[in-house]
Amino acid sequence: MAAGLILGLVTVPAWPLVWRAIVPGEATPLAGSFAIALRNSLEIAAFVGVIAFVIGRPAGVALALYKFPGRSLAFAIVMLPLLVPTFLWAIGWSALAAQAGPAATAWITGRTGCVLVFLGSAIPLVVLVSYAATLALSGTQIEAARLAGGERAVVYYACRYGATAACFAAALAGLLTLSDPGPGQIFGRRTAASDVLTSFSSQYDFGLAGRQCALLALAVLLLAIPLVLLAATRLSSQILVRQVRSIVRISPGPMAIGISLTFAALILVTMAVPLAGLLLPLQNGLDMTRAWREVARTGVNTLVYAIGAGFVSTGLSLLTAISVGHSDRLRTAVLGSCLALFALPPSMTALGMVYAATSGPSWLDWLTRSRAVVCLGLGLHYFPLATVIALRSWGTLPATWTHAAAIHGVPFSKYFFKVVVPHLLPAMGVTLLLVGLLATADVGTVLLLHPPGRTSLPLAIFTVMANAPESLVASLCVSYLLLALGLLVVLWSLAGRHTT
Amino acid sequence: MTANTAVRTTLWMLGAVLLSGCGARDKPAPESANNEVVVYTSVDDVFARPIAENFEKDTGIRVRLVPDTEETKSTGLLNRLIAEKERPQCDVFWSGDPIRAAILKAKGISTPYQSPEAAELPKLYSDPDGHWTGFSCRARVIIYNRDLVPRGQEPKSVLDLLDPRFKGKACLANPLFGTTSMHAAALFVKLGGDKATEFFDGFAANGGKILSSNGEVRRRVAAGEFAVGLTDTDDYNVAQLEGKPVGVVYPDADGMGTVVVPNCAVLIANGPNSDNGKRFIDYLLTPAVEEALAASEAAQMPVRKGVAVPPHVVALDQLKPMQVDYSALGGRLDELTKGFLKEWVDRNSR
Repeated sequence: MAAGLILGLVTVPAWPLVWRAIVPGEATPLAGSFAIALRNSLEIAAFVGVIAFVIGRPAGVALALYKFPGRSLAFAIVMLPLLVPTFLWAIGWSALAAQAGPAATAWITGRTGCVLVFLGSAIPLVVLVSYAATLALSGTQIEAARLAGGERAVVYYACRYGATAACFAAALAGLLTLSDPGPGQIFGRRTAASDVLTSFSSQYDFGLAGRQCALLALAVLLLAIPLVLLAATRLSSQILVRQVRSIVRISPGPMAIGISLTFAALILVTMAVPLAGLLLPLQNGLDMTRAWREVARTGVNTLVYAIGAGFVSTGLSLLTAISVGHSDRLRTAVLGSCLALFALPPSMTALGMVYAATSGPSWLDWLTRSRAVVCLGLGLHYFPLATVIALRSWGTLPATWTHAAAIHGVPFSKYFFKVVVPHLLPAMGVTLLLVGLLATADVGTVLLLHPPGRTSLPLAIFTVMANAPESLVASLCVSYLLLALGLLVVLWSLAGRHTT
Repeated sequence: MTANTAVRTTLWMLGAVLLSGCGARDKPAPESANNEVVVYTSVDDVFARPIAENFEKDTGIRVRLVPDTEETKSTGLLNRLIAEKERPQCDVFWSGDPIRAAILKAKGISTPYQSPEAAELPKLYSDPDGHWTGFSCRARVIIYNRDLVPRGQEPKSVLDLLDPRFKGKACLANPLFGTTSMHAAALFVKLGGDKATEFFDGFAANGGKILSSNGEVRRRVAAGEFAVGLTDTDDYNVAQLEGKPVGVVYPDADGMGTVVVPNCAVLIANGPNSDNGKRFIDYLLTPAVEEALAASEAAQMPVRKGVAVPPHVVALDQLKPMQVDYSALGGRLDELTKGFLKEWVDRNSR
């Protein structure tokens, strides 16, 4: 009941547009050709999800189990694409292909380009979840596997364990692609998101856009139900495991160089190649003065939006997890709903929030037209991702603890703050970080919701890139990436010190 | 410091940033709470911001600028304006083209304002009812790669893009968005439905490609991937400043004329700072702004007579502008984006 209420509340901002979509006569009828766009989108999502799983799962396991040269740096760099809006990578790929010649452009145009770009952010997501899932194994389990069958058995066992969580991450990464029109527009691939964008921004037909979104969510829900039903039991069994002794990372001998090289190749494909395309204009010189002026103007806002979104998502997901408790049925229902919610374009929620702020009283403007509303919009968009992590984390809390506390008459507040919160803190930290990173790269929600004059850095890049000299755009990208990398390294070293 | 303390300190610091910034709106303006103007603009930030900063210096009124872009990767500002209609935050919409201005008028979001500065501006580029006033212009041009198009072989008309010598070598931005959509509507008005349909179908049949934006057209023609493309004068100027091997043709000088795209100043109905909004519009329409926009990387053409035109900018009287009723283009485009153009783009996307 409570979980349903939270899920309902999360969708409230989208209701005005949904209403327009369902009221007869309000919207242009849905064209049959939208099915082609939907099919293309689902196809891209499936490719992205599967490839991200195949690459991200072993990569996450390797990071969790082994020491190898450049491990920490590789981890930080692999995460970097999460902070960068997809359209920037798409432009990088496109610029590089244009330099390489018509054959390269022909190869990258359409589905291939979209998949390549989306993999940039999908793989890190799976790597991160895989890493976290593998860390849930105990050191004793890993040592037992090693004694029984050597490193091969360890890798096999570790890859199998937590595969469901990684599979969910891959599914979520695939679903994230459904609401992003950028790469489809750049690579000339008609997708559901680009059709929704056309309805919004070319036809100004919010009703049609609403219907398209509803159909997209329905399709996702239909596809997600079997996945959720199949996975729920396995997910439950995995999350009941309790870590007793941390994994001790070892160097896998000659294999360490192989792992390092594999990570180097991964970084090359997901990041270095498109980055080279973005930075090509730097051969005409840097424009760091203007770039840093933009950074100074927008840095604090970017940080506020990212952290705020993280807090909103983490808080709501924690409440949802508490409401779900240990019920498998509820967990299945919530996971299915989360997958469907994730497919909704964030512009639906954002425009709904603009409508709400407009209809609300002016004395509430300090809240409804402030930076808080951007945090809320971003937080709601990434709520499904946070919920998956929260559900998993909550599941690791043994029911026996609750029973023991009840038997001994421990007050709930004391139990909650002394036992539950410390237990959930690492997962909440990961959620905060992950949502923060993803929210940093957002452009659409910030564009629609930010208070005048309170823009973010990715949005600033977005608004200057059309006609600014390429050297300025490239300088902005360099500044942004340096800052992002710096932030990641700091957070990573803090997290590393915390866990060791 | 222990690891725990470090994590805790970081979290506190981040929390403090959040609390200090989240709920707070912008700092109050120096003189009074209303000494500001909120301007939404579809003009590129790099061109609009210096103008806004000059206005601030001249008047002491703080400008809160919300820029958008014609790049088609996000649900943009016009939607925000539509959603905010009942209680707008915005005072002025500075549009990069008259189409969006016409949409605002049609939706009842703008209000008429006859600026005293508009008296010397040509009426052709403004709304007869005063909902928007046109000033500095861009033009829709053909940009070509000088390494791929020999001298003397340049296309003279947009219809030349159907020539077999440009097979697979021509591009344009998605005609559902931005100035390309306005260009498409103008072609339908000028050529008539049948001929315009023939043009678009012929363009696709000749291997012409749809790109995501005018900026993309500029980049890919400059890189030599395409020989010719349709874009705006500011895109061409940026490519030229970057030393790219590009040339420009102002098409149809001997025929239907070149499509000219004026900037438009629109006063939003019931904006929170209407008086300041009017002052900002007055400022936008001054000769100084036309001069600044002409001298900038935007290389915009002044529409007012007597404004100095820098050497790198083609003066409007050297062109043959296409004669179209700008206020009628919005309605025509509305039909096209829900009909032929949408189908055409769908058909020709992979």
